[in-house]
Amino acid sequence: MNSYLYFFGCVIPNRYPGVEYAVRWVTGKNGFDMDVKECDEFSCCPVPGIFYSTDKDTWLLLAARNLVLAQPDRRDILTVCNGCFASLLKATEYLQEPKNMGKVNRILAQVGKKYTGIPVRSEGRRRIFEPVKVRHYIEVMANDLGIDEIAKRTKHPLKNLRVAVHYGCHYLRPTERTQIEDPNDPVLLDKIVEACGAVSVDYEDKHDCCGAGGGVRSHVVDLANSLTQDKCRNISAAEADCIVTGCPFCLLQFDNAQRSFAKDGIPVMHVSQLQALAMGIDPISLGFDTHHVSAHSLLRKIRGS
Amino acid sequence: MAEVEKVFISGLHEELAEDRVINEKDLDPEFAKEIRKYGGKNVMTCLQCGNCTGVCPISLKIDYKTRNIIKCCQFGLKKYTLGTRWVCATCYRCYEHCPADLNPAEVMIALRHIAVREGIVPPFVKIAATNLVKYGQSVKPDPEIDKIRVELGLKPVHADQERLTAVVREIQTLVHATKYDKLIGIQEEVKL
Repeated sequence: MNSYLYFFGCVIPNRYPGVEYAVRWVTGKNGFDMDVKECDEFSCCPVPGIFYSTDKDTWLLLAARNLVLAQPDRRDILTVCNGCFASLLKATEYLQEPKNMGKVNRILAQVGKKYTGIPVRSEGRRRIFEPVKVRHYIEVMANDLGIDEIAKRTKHPLKNLRVAVHYGCHYLRPTERTQIEDPNDPVLLDKIVEACGAVSVDYEDKHDCCGAGGGVRSHVVDLANSLTQDKCRNISAAEADCIVTGCPFCLLQFDNAQRSFAKDGIPVMHVSQLQALAMGIDPISLGFDTHHVSAHSLLRKIRGS
Repeated sequence: MAEVEKVFISGLHEELAEDRVINEKDLDPEFAKEIRKYGGKNVMTCLQCGNCTGVCPISLKIDYKTRNIIKCCQFGLKKYTLGTRWVCATCYRCYEHCPADLNPAEVMIALRHIAVREGIVPPFVKIAATNLVKYGQSVKPDPEIDKIRVELGLKPVHADQERLTAVVREIQTLVHATKYDKLIGIQEEVKL
């Protein structure tokens, strides 16, 4: 079994603590009992819509600082957010270039750090390094644990619950070189949802953007909300009970945007929260109070099933 | 939405339609080179097929057409690309569908680099950068959320003040080393 380091990023700890609790619970002793460690020295990934967009040198430097922290324990970085995942993964690819690595290490020396990657073997006197592994929560769940294992541990199957899954762009298209699965036909999140006993409904333009990324939400919130409105219209048409996503920024966008155009709205949650519900957690621990769209009727339906 | 178009599409079409004639003094022959410097690929390879516009979620909504922006980049019409660069959601669908392997999203990111270097820094960039050098995170900690964290049995976001100070110091050193603080205009927040 692999070992990991939690990387929660900025949105989860500061806006959706229930997601952090769910992830810790699902990966912890009550859940799958995975080997995951804390690291409280991590900073912002840094967010690609701001730093990758304005100065790639600074972005790479700050991302490398985070990657360095995963080197001593040789653990995979377990990201729970599409933004953190794309930013850090892209950084490992940039750092494969000796020129970039040299430039970064010259400045990192000022804070006593050095990015090398993780040593894997020796060839004569030369040590061979691999980039630090950056993983996404969905992919770790589906590939490292396995869908069967998730299904096996589902104590309270979420029968009759119709779920609209939203993958989020930076899970599907993280970098130019790496893709987790076919961006036009991803399946892993659907499979996790089904392993929890729920139904993953098909809806029009399922893989469209939520509208928030790349600074659009911060820059022109009306434009971002209008994209979300289109998605929500399609999700309502498919008669889904809730939206499940693997990205807290998409969660934030769906959750906040719906206030601008819907009276009640469709409840939104992170996939870890859905898993925790299926594994029998008390919903009070999932921090749904911090979500703008109320999850009360949804939770009633789940309990009734 | 009309308001959005008026503000953010900086007359790309209006001006082009009104002028009809592109003024030679508006052409910047070095523009394509500048885009490459900041990580965009060679915009001259664009075939103007329009796939990028077809799959762009933003192009569906407002009068922002990816292909037109790339065309302006080819011409070196820098001023027409000014207002449009921050409406890209960087979903990378355009890249996925680009037969010329151009990656228009990366061109938009290069345009943002250029804009910032010309002193056009959107306020939210400043806010996020300030949060980063103050709290180590781009999102400002919220005391209300901290209360809920404690109720759930989680540690408050900055439970360890000493650790936070050390992390922030490292970040400020790095941000200062690349002169990012000066670029964004947050020098007074960086206290080394």
